[in-house]
Amino acid sequence: MSVAAALKARNASALPSRRDEDWRWTDLRGLIRVLPEPSAPFNGIVVKGAFDRLADDHRVLVNGGVTRIEVAADRKAAVALRLIARGAGTHANQVIVSLAAGARLRLLETYESDGGSLAHTALTIALAEGAALERVVLAADHEDAVTISQAQVTLAPTADYGQTLLSSGARRQRLETRVAHPGGRASLRLDGVYVLAGKRHTDHTSVVTHQGLDGTTAQLTKGVVRDQARAVFQGKIIVSEGADHTDARMGHHALILSDRAEVDAKPELEIYADDVACAHGNTVGALDEDALFYACQRGIPEDEARAMLTEAFIGQVVDRIWFEDARKVARAWAAERLRA
Amino acid sequence: MAAVKQTVEHVASLEKYKHGFVTDIEQDFAPKGLNADIVRFISAKKNEPQWMLDWRLDAFERWLAMDEPDWAKVSFPRIDYQDSHYYAAPKEKVGINSLDEVDPDILETYKKLGIPLREQEVLAGVIGSPRYAVDAVFDSVSVVTTFKKELAQVGVIFCSMSEAIREHPELVKQYLGSVVPVSDNYFACLNAAVFSDGSFVYVPPGVRCPMELSTYFRINAENSGQFERTLIIADRQAYVSYLEGCTAPMRDENQLHAAVVELVTMDDAEIKYSTVQNWYPGDPETGKGGIYNFVTKRADCRGDRSKVSWTQVETGSSITWKYPSCILRGEGSSGEFYSIAITNGRQQADTGTKMIHLGANTRSRIISKGISAGKSSNTYRGLVSAHPKAKGARNFTQCDSLLIGKHCAAHTVPYIEARNGHSKFEHEATTTRLSEDQLFYAMQRGLSQEEAVQLLVNGFVKEVLQELPMEFAVEAQKLVAISLEGSVG
Repeated sequence: MSVAAALKARNASALPSRRDEDWRWTDLRGLIRVLPEPSAPFNGIVVKGAFDRLADDHRVLVNGGVTRIEVAADRKAAVALRLIARGAGTHANQVIVSLAAGARLRLLETYESDGGSLAHTALTIALAEGAALERVVLAADHEDAVTISQAQVTLAPTADYGQTLLSSGARRQRLETRVAHPGGRASLRLDGVYVLAGKRHTDHTSVVTHQGLDGTTAQLTKGVVRDQARAVFQGKIIVSEGADHTDARMGHHALILSDRAEVDAKPELEIYADDVACAHGNTVGALDEDALFYACQRGIPEDEARAMLTEAFIGQVVDRIWFEDARKVARAWAAERLRA
Repeated sequence: MAAVKQTVEHVASLEKYKHGFVTDIEQDFAPKGLNADIVRFISAKKNEPQWMLDWRLDAFERWLAMDEPDWAKVSFPRIDYQDSHYYAAPKEKVGINSLDEVDPDILETYKKLGIPLREQEVLAGVIGSPRYAVDAVFDSVSVVTTFKKELAQVGVIFCSMSEAIREHPELVKQYLGSVVPVSDNYFACLNAAVFSDGSFVYVPPGVRCPMELSTYFRINAENSGQFERTLIIADRQAYVSYLEGCTAPMRDENQLHAAVVELVTMDDAEIKYSTVQNWYPGDPETGKGGIYNFVTKRADCRGDRSKVSWTQVETGSSITWKYPSCILRGEGSSGEFYSIAITNGRQQADTGTKMIHLGANTRSRIISKGISAGKSSNTYRGLVSAHPKAKGARNFTQCDSLLIGKHCAAHTVPYIEARNGHSKFEHEATTTRLSEDQLFYAMQRGLSQEEAVQLLVNGFVKEVLQELPMEFAVEAQKLVAISLEGSVG
């Protein structure tokens, strides 16, 4: 049963567990024995969000709701979407995004939650031909929250989709993106950054299915974990039969800064066409001691040197955000966490 | 270049699967089906002591309670475990003392397969040429083991598993099932209950085994499965290189081969284990027949600075499902896995390795080359994990897939689990097809398309072939070419 269906049926024993291949490192059933009560309606005041200044259309869903974002042909829009959980309850959000031909959208999304909350967000995103969407997600959850976000993205030929997930983890945090890629010179960028400390957990999962000729996918996720935190990266690229001339690259690189932190990765390729160029790379390791030594012997204090090196490491992903103002917000967010 | 030329010539002269013949000999069979009585029958046939029978029956009980796994990326009709003979052996002549008493048909079979069973034949070659001892397993029994005396002089025990249970029970009791526990997985558990034969090797401390050891597995009987069990122990500072080969007749039915291989290395010991797997792959057009090769292979690097190196060339079997693994327990121990997996026709392979880093400063290296052609499917599945105590663990993984043709599939499914801040794991994978430019270049120099493909494929797998013992590398190279025959154009 899917997470959404299990929550709807209020059946904790139907939540995915480590026995489900897709959830082997993000066990929900073992964690949540009893579902929190449904979230109460929220009537309080919501403080400003990180992206409010960058968009004129503000959507705020507190403790569940539905919102539709539609952009007409050849129009431009910027939306700040906030998914907020107040109090220790369970709720679901639904977000439907559609872009007509040639439309452009900046979707700036934030997840904010209270301890004990359990929120599920289902996003359906569809891009028509020539449409372009950049989605920047800031998942700044409470350390005791459980947040599951599942996005289903459908692209038309020549569409352009870029995404950057920035997450600091939660008790369980899963950011899932599934993309139906038609080929036809549509291009896809799926990026992610995680900076975890304490006992936080994050899971970046993606499945990209190339269904037609001439598609490109560029994927890069980088993360830093400390303390007893745990990061999960699962990326899967499927190239269907006939989807020749697909160019797909996936990279996942993580730094583990403590002996009790954990990084689990599963970069997968599933290929049914022969004329393709697909590759993935995955590295997990400690901070480069040589680089640290070099910085220190140039007179930079060790803490500062570590911060510089990790920021540069993460910066490579942040720099790929197209929208400059969002990039600045992302960079500041990462720097703050790396220096904490 | 000479090897490449030889390959090309060789391929031209060969039919597709040259080992598909059947040897017509009188055989003893266990009745079809699987129950506790069959387990007792096998144990009795082998004159096993009570402890061994108890071990088997316990395994059988556990197996009954297990479910067949289905997570691999392979598909096949459900296996009817009752529709197979679990024991098939050439009719035994009482007390074979020398090779002359072995059924001449069996000797002929091995001759046809090119496996030297007569020591003098091996010796007859050029002086100084590498020699290797062979344990020949025919269906459920080992028919002959060569060079036993010479090996015994240096203290190396090389014999069939049945003999080891009788002659060296203390070693078998100590190590059997200590690397792959009885209920490790469905097929290993089945093997523990019904295993018939296999090889046993013990290399004492400080001994470098003076020759290559090898086992040749042959399935001959119809409607039978082969369940061999191999156990190799390299004591402190010992070294042994071991090779297994296997073939089977061409039949329309699917036959199950569920083996268990356990390797144990102590301090500073090293085992090099090479496999050239050439079971009958099934009919390339219809996919009918062929061997189901569901094997559990695992090495336990118990000692500090010990090393295990797995090299495999997987060209046969209708379905290959195996993951030769290393448990890197000893400090500074290292594991290597070099693999070429080739699928053609309608073959399916889901193979890879597990490198489990438990000790500090352990190292592992994985080089996997998958080639899919025809309508086949080829999956690399691997796990690299580092325990919190495995500080300084280091892994490098490279898995490359090559696709030949429009209807084949190649998958890469690596799992990486890093649990400490002082380890370094690197993984890279690529999937491509043969380069048009390179093919064009080779062809405009006068090579035919097939020859050009072979040349490029040989280049693609070279890194792994280099790891094989010399004489087998040549053999494997030929096999690579044959396996891909008919895949182009």
